[in-house]
Amino acid sequence: MPSNGSSSGAAVWAILRKECRSEWRTRYGLNAALLFAVTTLTGVSFAMGRLTDRTDMLAALLWVVLLFATLASLSHAFVREVEGHTLTMLRLVASPTAIALGKLLFNIVFLAVIEIVTVPLFLTLMGAPPPRWGAFLGLLGLGSLALACASTLVGAVISQTRGRGALFAGVSIPLLLPVLAAAVSGMRSQWAGGPIAAEARLLAAYSVALLAASLLLYDHLWED
Amino acid sequence: MGMIGRWLLFLWIAGWIVAAFLWAPLVPVLGETTRVLYFHIPAAWVTVVALAWSMGHSILYLRSRRMEHDHQAAAAAEIGILFCVVATISGSLWAKAMWGSYWNWDPRETSIFFVLLVYAAYLALRSAIEEEERRARLSAVYSAIAFVSVPFLIFVVPRIYFSLHPDPIINPRGKLDMDPRIRIVFFAMLVGFTALFFWLQSLRVRVARLEHRLDQA
Repeated sequence: MPSNGSSSGAAVWAILRKECRSEWRTRYGLNAALLFAVTTLTGVSFAMGRLTDRTDMLAALLWVVLLFATLASLSHAFVREVEGHTLTMLRLVASPTAIALGKLLFNIVFLAVIEIVTVPLFLTLMGAPPPRWGAFLGLLGLGSLALACASTLVGAVISQTRGRGALFAGVSIPLLLPVLAAAVSGMRSQWAGGPIAAEARLLAAYSVALLAASLLLYDHLWED
Repeated sequence: MGMIGRWLLFLWIAGWIVAAFLWAPLVPVLGETTRVLYFHIPAAWVTVVALAWSMGHSILYLRSRRMEHDHQAAAAAEIGILFCVVATISGSLWAKAMWGSYWNWDPRETSIFFVLLVYAAYLALRSAIEEEERRARLSAVYSAIAFVSVPFLIFVVPRIYFSLHPDPIINPRGKLDMDPRIRIVFFAMLVGFTALFFWLQSLRVRVARLEHRLDQA
């Protein structure tokens, strides 16, 4: 790497700001993802009706909606660079790790924005009983973090292949299913008034493991 | 492995299959289904060995960039998926006999299904990249990430959630506590399956090497 490539906090911050700014200019990705999440939610809500007394179903459906939103949108951050032929330029000014961390932060922000719209809508449309907010938000945060860690890394891999869109879902799912299993089980327990510590710990450990593996692997992503 | 080695392997596995039916006793609760033990567990074991082999070589590839490691990783993934299918189907048949349904998302069934998905995604990813060096590099990266998720799937999930899988029936006190004849046949089959894996692996790697040389010419 050239010497001006830096993985310092400043570079990560610059990438994050650049991502947010270029997203804000077109809002293409955000609009598409929001529309997709709301469409999925409508489909689920229309098919199931209100499920006030079935919190086990609510937990599963909430995460299915969030998983779909993730699969539909989070490869975008890298694919956009490849399609716009801007990746080479970006790699000249920052190290792979800085690019990846910046994009990861952006994906976390992106997912948070989607959730701010989707989750209240979900709770209202499905007639969900009030959750235990601390546990609910904690699980939502940890689950989203794990979703973002896995899909950012897969997005970086997938952006260099043919048939990206279809492949992204198939290739991410083995990494996302443990998140789904733990998050759904935690959410159920949250509504049932049970403990969520085991699931929260599993999600946190998985995120940390993925993040550590990513930091080691990002250097190998681009070399041609 | 030469001609003699192949015949020895054939006789070894065939002989222990006969022993499994005629010599080893049945476990009380499991009855006739006891014998799935000699096929299902070695297949599951080879799946794990193949996955570890594939991922080990993926990481070696990232460090050394020698195509040889990529051939090894791809071959082990292909053979691993074969054994994973064998373990899944034999487990599912056993589940039908003992639990009354082929599939009901018991944690063990879930985790082996996850492993199948990991392999399938790895091979799908490989097929989507034309250029050889890039295919090797990206699939090695993916393999290394998948290696993070596999321990979670295989070891963590079944331990957090309740399972009907019969380590408690065969193995109540958490140590190897089977009838000595069952144990002998079981370990012999384990050895046989492992040897079978390495033989298939060496064949597949030779094919990959030849294909690589053809591409270069």
